[in-house]
Amino acid sequence: MSLFIQRMFDGLAEGSIYALLALALVVIFRSTGQLNFAQGEIGTLCAFFASTFTLSGLPVWVAILLAMAIGFLIAAFVERVVVRPIENRNPGAVIVALIGVFLAVNQLSAMFWGVDARSLPSLFPTNADSFFRIGDAAIRWERVGIIGVLAVVVVLLFLLFNRTKIGLAMRAVANNQESSNLVGIRVGNILILGWGLAGAIGALAAVMLAPSAGLTGTLMLGPFLYASVAAVLGGLDSPVGAVVGGLLIGLLKAFLIGYVDFLSDMLFPVMLVVLLSVLLFRPAGLFGTEKVERV
Amino acid sequence: MSENLLEVRGLSAGYGQIEVLHSLDFHVADGEIVVILGANGAGKTTTMRSVSGMIQRSGDVLFDGNRIGSARPDAVLRVGISQVPQGRGTFTDLTVEDNLRAGAYSVKGSIAADIDRWYDVFPRLAERRDQRAGSLSGGEQQMLAIARAMMNRPKLLLCDEPSLGLAPIITQNLFKILGELRDEMGMALLVVEQNAGLSLQLCDRAYVLETGHIVASGTGDELLNDDTVKQAYLGGAG
Amino acid sequence: MSDVHHEGDSVTLDDGEVEMATEVVSGKSAGGLPVFTPQHGALHWLGRVLVFALPLAYLLMRVFGVTGIVGGGWSNSGLGLLADAFIIAIAVMGVNLITGYTGQLSIGHSAFFAIGAYTGLVLTQGRVSTPFFGDENVWDPGWTIPVAAALCFLVGCVVGLPALRLKGIYLALTTLVFVEAVRSILKYEKFEDVTGGATGIKGDKYTPPEYVFDFFGIKLPTGLDGRADLNQWMIYLSLALLLFIMLMVSGIMRSRIGRAMVATRDNELAAEVMGVNLSVIKTVAFGLSGAITGIGGALFGLKLGLVDADVPLFGLFGAITLLVAMVVGGAAQNWGPMVGAVFYVFVNEIARSIGEAPADYEAVFTITLIVLVAVVMVVVARYVMQHRNDIRANVSNGAWKAVLVVVGSMSALVAAGVMLLGISDGGKLDGLGGVIFGVLLILFARFVPFGAVGTFRIFRSRFVQIIPKPPSESRAAKAPEGVQVQGR
Repeated sequence: MSLFIQRMFDGLAEGSIYALLALALVVIFRSTGQLNFAQGEIGTLCAFFASTFTLSGLPVWVAILLAMAIGFLIAAFVERVVVRPIENRNPGAVIVALIGVFLAVNQLSAMFWGVDARSLPSLFPTNADSFFRIGDAAIRWERVGIIGVLAVVVVLLFLLFNRTKIGLAMRAVANNQESSNLVGIRVGNILILGWGLAGAIGALAAVMLAPSAGLTGTLMLGPFLYASVAAVLGGLDSPVGAVVGGLLIGLLKAFLIGYVDFLSDMLFPVMLVVLLSVLLFRPAGLFGTEKVERV
Repeated sequence: MSENLLEVRGLSAGYGQIEVLHSLDFHVADGEIVVILGANGAGKTTTMRSVSGMIQRSGDVLFDGNRIGSARPDAVLRVGISQVPQGRGTFTDLTVEDNLRAGAYSVKGSIAADIDRWYDVFPRLAERRDQRAGSLSGGEQQMLAIARAMMNRPKLLLCDEPSLGLAPIITQNLFKILGELRDEMGMALLVVEQNAGLSLQLCDRAYVLETGHIVASGTGDELLNDDTVKQAYLGGAG
Repeated sequence: MSDVHHEGDSVTLDDGEVEMATEVVSGKSAGGLPVFTPQHGALHWLGRVLVFALPLAYLLMRVFGVTGIVGGGWSNSGLGLLADAFIIAIAVMGVNLITGYTGQLSIGHSAFFAIGAYTGLVLTQGRVSTPFFGDENVWDPGWTIPVAAALCFLVGCVVGLPALRLKGIYLALTTLVFVEAVRSILKYEKFEDVTGGATGIKGDKYTPPEYVFDFFGIKLPTGLDGRADLNQWMIYLSLALLLFIMLMVSGIMRSRIGRAMVATRDNELAAEVMGVNLSVIKTVAFGLSGAITGIGGALFGLKLGLVDADVPLFGLFGAITLLVAMVVGGAAQNWGPMVGAVFYVFVNEIARSIGEAPADYEAVFTITLIVLVAVVMVVVARYVMQHRNDIRANVSNGAWKAVLVVVGSMSALVAAGVMLLGISDGGKLDGLGGVIFGVLLILFARFVPFGAVGTFRIFRSRFVQIIPKPPSESRAAKAPEGVQVQGR
């Protein structure tokens, strides 16, 4: 039982990272209908920046905020310079360009920070005795902290979307760009903002993951795939779905590793099965609206 | 200051290389209801979109005596022109109330009083304020679209084919509401329509648009009795 | 009412604003390609060709070691690269079939490449029991190629069927996960007997036949210097297969199925109304494309003589590599994959050789930084020049944008500086090739949507247009068969 609780927290913490990344994907998908394939890599690059910042003596939380700001700028830049000029051409061109961003950003970080793992201190205590107990289960504070970060981001996003004028504009743009123009919303600026926001969230996911996973150029490759599956599972246009999907995928992964020995090295095939099943039986995902274009 | 609220001179616009509007001249005076009548493809929607800054245009558009060169939609809204787009263009995933809030995006300051006011005018919307706009009926959505445009406190309201897809009785009701709005608020209206019978009765003046040219103009009654208009838009019978 | 409006002041539309819902009339065609006027004479183009082609040819010769001919010997690694280019070209033909012609973007064809390579080695090394085939389960290398194709076709159909029911990004995402899934399966320890698990398969060196053909005494030796050389044999073999597949693909594209594929790409709804069974066409196309890429994979495995799941071309980066080669060569162009693959191998080799020369680091970065600063200055200057009236007249609009641009470019410079700090602790130029290819993908997606071959065709058609033609067959007849990656 204690092992179960421990694994559950492992899964929830890992799932929180996926949920953050999936939230970033959903924010962009809702506003522009694109899946940002470079999301994870932008996060990795930001984590490298954060590690350089902490090495130069900045406190961890300042480094994380700076990294998020950089994530915001990079993603906003990608929207304005890479995506917008071709978004009306065809969906394939945008994906190709985003794959280009994926590759360029990934290799840039390899070029500048090398292939050896860097260290990035955690925002939360990571000492050997930084844990508390539920019964016999030892729960590390770092895990709880990451789950807490997800909760804070979810609350902030909820407030932004539902309580502010900018949030209303973002929802309006996601729903109908033409009408948004007509009520005076500067659609272009809102799109930049949405991408930037997603970039910042993606950066946050990366700096949360890096301390435990080790900061290398491949930091976000796997998590991006898990997060994408989570986003599709939850419904690509549903923030709630992204969080639920992310946590579910995290739990699934933790329990597969913990309890199903013969599948513990076969996580990606399992993800493929999950993804294909969702596409076959519920293309809109658990919480998405049923308007996925079927052909 | 010119006496006309909206003065359009030599308006040309189009899409890509294709010019749709060829040097239109028309005007709307304060508190006037003006209808632009035209068949499918005559350029009605293009006229609306070029006035509201949604597409590139050439020619002079003066509002309240100020020239609006080639403006962006948000700047056009700020001077006091709102548009009800064709097909209503409500934010279907947003609630009715959020639609109204979005309509007041360019308005600075509190808008609570405006929202209450439009709920008074359209009680159906008040009943459904927390529902998704997409769940409303066509007539209700049209009301929502008008209320949303009015949230911007316009001096001039552009309506693009408000009768499209509505049952005749609802259209009649809608035109009645539009007339009342004008009477109560002293606001001017520019309506483009295919439905000649109803709209000509409603309006003060009208223009007839054919393939991007204005081919006739006059008061509503004049055009109602005009033989060519009768033949083209009223099925000959009148 | 309006504090932004002054008498006689017009609200102007920034040329940079694209938020208008409709197209803006400009000097560019709808596809984004600059309009080239046919007024330049043949001499002009000859000059262009000389300026660009001669250095290119020189570099090609350097990279592929062809200068060795003059020097009296062959550069074996150069020949190996050429063979690689043809093999990759075959794999790219597969991607081109599904992405270029059918319009379904796949980022997972490296999985088929891996499956093909493993099939080749598993069979030639006799790692599975095949009672009726092979000598003691050990297959002749040649016969593994069709088996690889068939296996990839089946896998392609199984994976493609669910993903292809939905639009673009779902297939892209599914294929992405597919790559990692296949790698996990290949590494899986329970399948170690067949796939070799994490260590992969180390096979015996594939011995090429002594003669390319031996026909009634007419013999063409495999090695031009008399020795049977694997690289040279692989060049013949892969080139022959490549040409065969190109013929096959152009045949398919002229057939009923091919027209259905193109119709599917250009307008799914219209295609369906015309009676195209979309899911069958897409699935068959996906399976076929997998099979073609699998053939490339089998050749790759045979040439290398060893496989493991961590070979870069089998993973995510391999998938992107195939995409780069297709996009650079030209989507839906029959010659595109060959051009793109040669280009890829060539640039990759140059980038690798730069990356291996540590002395050049600082020079490269100094140059990069200078170029970056110059670009930023030019952009800022141009912006200020273009908008100087705006900035002067309309402070609320122009000024904050100018500030934004300046702040943005400054932070870009600071970011570049921080990156430079990063290198001082042990960064390497390893990623140079990747960065180049990533940027190329971005640039091609925007500026060269038809790829090298497609653009060449457009240029060529400009020449032809100088001679007046009857209007009925002018543009439509000479435009490339399919000139977009996907959709309208």
